[in-house]
This record gives sequence, C-alpha cells and structure tokens, in this order.
Amino acid sequence: MSDLYKDPIGHWVVVVLAMAVVLFVLLTATAYTVWFERVALGHIQRRPGPNRVGPWGLMQLAADGIKLAFKESFVPAKTDRVIYVIAPTIAVAAAFLAWAVIPIGLWYNVQYWIADVNVGVLLIFAVSSLNVYAIVLGGYASNNKYSLLGGLRSAAQLISYEMAMGLSLVPTFMIVGSLRLRDIVDYTVHWGPYTGPIPLILLTPIGFLIYMIAAVAETNRTPFDLPEAEQELIGGFLTEYSGLKFVMYYLAEYVNVITASALATLLFFGGWYLWVVPPVLAFFLKVVFFVFVYIWLRGTFPRLRYDMLMRLGWKVLLPLAIVNVIVTGVIIVLVQG
Amino acid sequence: MAIAVFIVFGLLAIAGGVGVITFHQPIRSVLSLVVVMLSLSVLFLLLSAQFVFVVQIIVYAGAVMVLFLFVIALLGPARETGPGRLRFQTGLSSLFVLAFFGLLYAMLQGVQYRQPDHTDLNVFGTVQSIAVGLFTTYLYPFELTSVLLLVAAIGAIYLSRRDES
Repeated sequence: MSDLYKDPIGHWVVVVLAMAVVLFVLLTATAYTVWFERVALGHIQRRPGPNRVGPWGLMQLAADGIKLAFKESFVPAKTDRVIYVIAPTIAVAAAFLAWAVIPIGLWYNVQYWIADVNVGVLLIFAVSSLNVYAIVLGGYASNNKYSLLGGLRSAAQLISYEMAMGLSLVPTFMIVGSLRLRDIVDYTVHWGPYTGPIPLILLTPIGFLIYMIAAVAETNRTPFDLPEAEQELIGGFLTEYSGLKFVMYYLAEYVNVITASALATLLFFGGWYLWVVPPVLAFFLKVVFFVFVYIWLRGTFPRLRYDMLMRLGWKVLLPLAIVNVIVTGVIIVLVQG
Repeated sequence: MAIAVFIVFGLLAIAGGVGVITFHQPIRSVLSLVVVMLSLSVLFLLLSAQFVFVVQIIVYAGAVMVLFLFVIALLGPARETGPGRLRFQTGLSSLFVLAFFGLLYAMLQGVQYRQPDHTDLNVFGTVQSIAVGLFTTYLYPFELTSVLLLVAAIGAIYLSRRDES
C-alpha cells in the first residue's frame, strides 16, 4: 500500500477508486437509511411500513428512485433559473465532501481515508456550513413566500447551532490534543491494568449530549425540522422542487444524517474499536445505532416552536458548551499537575 | 500540479471579483463574492496553511456571506437602483489603482524568497503552531481584538433595541 502511494500515478488510481467506492457505498447506505427510517417509524406508530416491493420492502427505494427520475422537473415561473438549479447541487456536493476526511477502519490495524488532514474535524464543519447556501438559495430562487421563510429560518437555525456544535467538541480536542479524526479514535489511556483506546464519551458526556442535539438541528431533522415544517410552510424550501432536484436535497439530508452519526461514532464512541468485533462491522453497527437514534427522535418528539428553538440554542446549549470547555480545561490542568 | 491548481483558482478568484462589481442583481454579486472567498481558501491550502483554509471557509463563506444573503433574501429580488456612477469615479479609481500597485511594488522590493523545507511544512499552518502563536507571542493583540469585537456586539445590540418608553 505504501509503495503504491509513492508512485504518483498509483496514488491517483487508489484515490479515485476510493472515492468511487465511498460514493457507491454512501448512495446505497442512503437508500437503505430511508428504508430503515420508514420501517422503524412504521413500527413506532404500530403499522407495518413499506413491505410490498421486494422482500421486506427492500426494493421500495429503487421503485421510488425510478418514479422520481421520470417525474417532470418543474421550474416555477419568474425564478432565477441558474440559482434554482445550483442550490440542490451545493447540498449534494457539501454532503459528500465531508467523507473525504472520515477515516474508516477496515480491519484490525488497517484504516483507510481519502485525505488525512491536520484539521479533519474542522474541515467537516467548514463543508457542512456550506449547506446553508443550498437551503437559503433554494428558498430564495423558488419565488415562493413559504420557500423563502423556510430558507431564512434555516439560515438562522444552522448558524445558531453551529456555534454550540463546534464548542461541544472542544473538550474532546483538548483531551486528545489533535483535530485529526484518526488521532481522536486512537486516543489511548492507561487506567490501572487497562491500556488502550476508550470511547471518549466517558470523559466528555456533556459534550456528547450537546453534539447530539446540535447535530439533529444541523441536519434539519425532527424535532428541529422548522425549515420544512409541513403544517405551516407546506414544505419550506423544498416546496417548489420536484423530480431529480428534489431527490438531490433528499439525498443530501440523509447523507448528512449518516455523516453526523459517523462523526458521533468517531468522536465519542471509539470509532472502529469494539472489543473483538471486526472493525468494519463495529463501525457499521455504531453508525446504524446513531441513525436509529435519529429516527427514534423523529418518532417521539413534536417539533419545537421557533422561539423555543432559538432559546434552546443560544441560552441553554451555548452557555453549557462554554462552561463545559472551561471545566474540562481546569480538570486537565489539575490532573496534569 | 500545485501550479495548475493555483492558476485555476487564481483565475476563479479574479473572475469572482469581476463578477462582484459587474452583476446588476445583488444576489449574483454576493454569490460571486462567495466564489472569491472559496478560491482564496484553496490558495491558502496551496500555501499549506490548513487552519487558515478551514477558517476562511467557516467564517467568511459559512457565516459572513450568509448574513449578506439573508439581507438580500429579505429585501427581495430587486435590481440595484439609486444613483449611478459618481462624476469623478473613473479618474479617482484609476488613481487609487496606480497608488495600490505602486505600494505593492515598493513593498516587494528586496524581499527574499526561499523554498520551504520539510520541517516547515510539518509545522507551518497547523492548528498547534497557530495556537502557540496566538497564546504566546500575539496574546496581547489577540485579546484586544476580542474585546473590540465584544464591544461591537454589545453596541449593535444596544442600537437595535427598541425604545421601551
């Protein structure tokens, strides 16, 4: 592997192949996340969920995809057509870009990542902050008041929760001393007889709690799905989108859910380490668990009112995150003497 | 390889800059400015300033430009109106451009360049090296800037508050 990396052409071949594989896996995973969500929500609401197309309804998403691909892609009148088309593209690009720096444990002591950068986690934040453009521009270009309102709400929501989300991870960085995702997963402790990696949630439980809440808000999922609140805004920024452009937004939303789950796994739950379970399987199981938490929340909680959302973000989560940083700093200084 | 990336993103940055001043719809100008910011961030990355690259995207593209967009979206898709060019604009701007390039030329006189070596690339631009700089050598200006920002934020809140009386 390392010899291949030294050869410039071999390097490019490996990276391009890896990108193709990640793209394929993510697209498949997205389809089955949607299926998983519909089945899980069905069981939460005591109904069967999709079960007609294929065994256990597993081909439902293929059928939906074909239907949406052949739908007329309607563009409303008097819109800014260029921006209307660019907006969903930004959503998809931003969603997939994050996976460039996410390391995946393939086997014991074998990990793969497309780019191993010094500022890994920050890069994911940077890319996900571009997601705001997709929603605001989509809402703006749709030439529809509901879309615009959804877009503006979303911009305010994403910016507000980005702060809490960023700060919630600072204690983790302080403990590990690195922003590289690989270093965070490989963080080793020497506790009495035990030496090895631990899930960092043991050290920063509050950080995890804030991260999880903020991540739900960042991905526009229930109970924070105000940008597309059906009852008041029809569909928010999605109202005027149909066909493949709608699919692109939908795809981006679910890729973001998977990304947030993968980040929670890597940052707080020890990534690919799980006793003797093979790393790929361990990583997969943990990500699936967090995706399920997302679905669980959607099946359980009602949507927040807008002022409650802002109050929670600015007056509860942000101060809590700052206190968490300070307390962690004091403890680190005390422990290190 | 790096030079090809530099040329592409340098041209993109210039094209974005031209777009900012030539588009008549404000939203297109804002998006051009976003293109400038993103291209600049790639140029930072080429200089192996990874942290500045990420912060450029988060702060400028992710927050500042979104606020611009916010205002324009609220004001509606109106075209730019108001008075056109100032009378002396052409002459004055040429003068400023000349002065700017003169200044740039004067500053670049006698500057020594050298190829970065391996240790530079391992240390330069990382989060650690920037943090050490900010909290040791440049602690005083850094803290002063943060106080300035705090004052500005409090001032903005005070000014935008409705009169209760």
